[in-house]
Amino acid sequence: METIKGYLEAMFAGMPNTPEVRKAKSELLQMMEDKYNELIEEGASENSAVGTVISEFGNLDELADDLGLKKEVEEAHGKESETPRRHITLDEVKDFIINRRKKALFLALGVMLCIISVTAPIMLDIFGAGDLGAALMFVFVGAGVGSLIYCGFVDSNWKFMKNSPCQIDMNTAKYVEEARNSFEAVRAICITLGTVLCVICWVPCIIIDYYKVNENLGGVLIFLLVGIGVFLIVYSNTIASGYDKLLELNDKTTFSGTYVDSSPKPVNVIKYKNKTAETIVALYWPTVTCLYLILSFLTFQWGITWIIWVIAGVAHKAVVINCQADDYE
Amino acid sequence: MVQISSDIIRGYNDTMILNILMKGPSYGYQISKEIKTISDEKYVIKETTLYSAFTRIEKNGYIESFVANPDPEGNGKKRTYYRITEAGLEYYKSKCEEWELTKEVVEKFIEENPDSLTLDDN
Repeated sequence: METIKGYLEAMFAGMPNTPEVRKAKSELLQMMEDKYNELIEEGASENSAVGTVISEFGNLDELADDLGLKKEVEEAHGKESETPRRHITLDEVKDFIINRRKKALFLALGVMLCIISVTAPIMLDIFGAGDLGAALMFVFVGAGVGSLIYCGFVDSNWKFMKNSPCQIDMNTAKYVEEARNSFEAVRAICITLGTVLCVICWVPCIIIDYYKVNENLGGVLIFLLVGIGVFLIVYSNTIASGYDKLLELNDKTTFSGTYVDSSPKPVNVIKYKNKTAETIVALYWPTVTCLYLILSFLTFQWGITWIIWVIAGVAHKAVVINCQADDYE
Repeated sequence: MVQISSDIIRGYNDTMILNILMKGPSYGYQISKEIKTISDEKYVIKETTLYSAFTRIEKNGYIESFVANPDPEGNGKKRTYYRITEAGLEYYKSKCEEWELTKEVVEKFIEENPDSLTLDDN
């Protein structure tokens, strides 16, 4: 059956990715599959079944004519020869995915190290060794930045994917899609956990504030929780975007590209009144974060400043509603 | 071995498909199998020919397609079924008449026993 799929894939290579062509391809595959299954049931060997199916398939030119695709087929062939697409094999794709995981790890680690670097001075301040803390902070930042730079090199072997048009065949696209779908569960857990960690990061502050323990400890915990949360989010998103990148290789001029188009993710795009409103909403959380960090570091009242997040959370709803376009449901 | 004239048969693929659909809705492979069986395996329709015929006669309004699941117990695969329309039935009838006429005319030029023929030198 894989041979038949491969054959059909080859026949449709270079066809434009229109609904008509997609339909023709799936209908033809269905007919071939039916015929193949029946031949096998009748006791034919796999080779002879494949042979019969392919010999009785016919000629796509006939179809192109009937579907009014003659012009498009020629155009697609023209494009094809202008910029030959580099074919990425299944093995290469597997390599890419392994590589992507490595990249994701270093990227997430880098960001996390930068975030938790600020805990060093706060922590050592508790023990009255603030200077040492500043030094330690730079060690963290250094390690983080190093990790970020390294992750830039990790996928240097794959630069060609950005610079030249590439494509993957249907089987490979299927493999990637399945891998992406099975990763989706892991990703959901990572994102949820990460988001929860970021949201509840100020909870330890309240507890510490309540029991009147050292307030600085609350600050340390905030950054630790946010650091871990961000790590989970960045790590899983980077891997997931790797899968999408592979599936997006095939665009309208290749056939397997349907994999991304056919299962569009529901995107909830909010419409804003105007550019200014959009900017306000986009800058809202970064501004709140800055405000929180500035106030906290200036006052060192970690036990109180977390209230900013509660106020900001409530205010956010009001800001978004005010900035939304009236016709947005 | 003698083969079917693809030029002639092409004009009658639609007729065969409509004839099969008159017995009830059917799908791609089943129709191609019917054609093979009814023609005593003398005519095997190519998948591309069949599909292009489907799209053409559907565009003309002679057949309608609908998606159905053949066996709910099975793998849940959806299949495209076709059914004949009123216009399709009318078209089928006119094709039958057309064929009768064509056959009648062509047959007047067909010898019963072509093997025995020779060219006389007069």
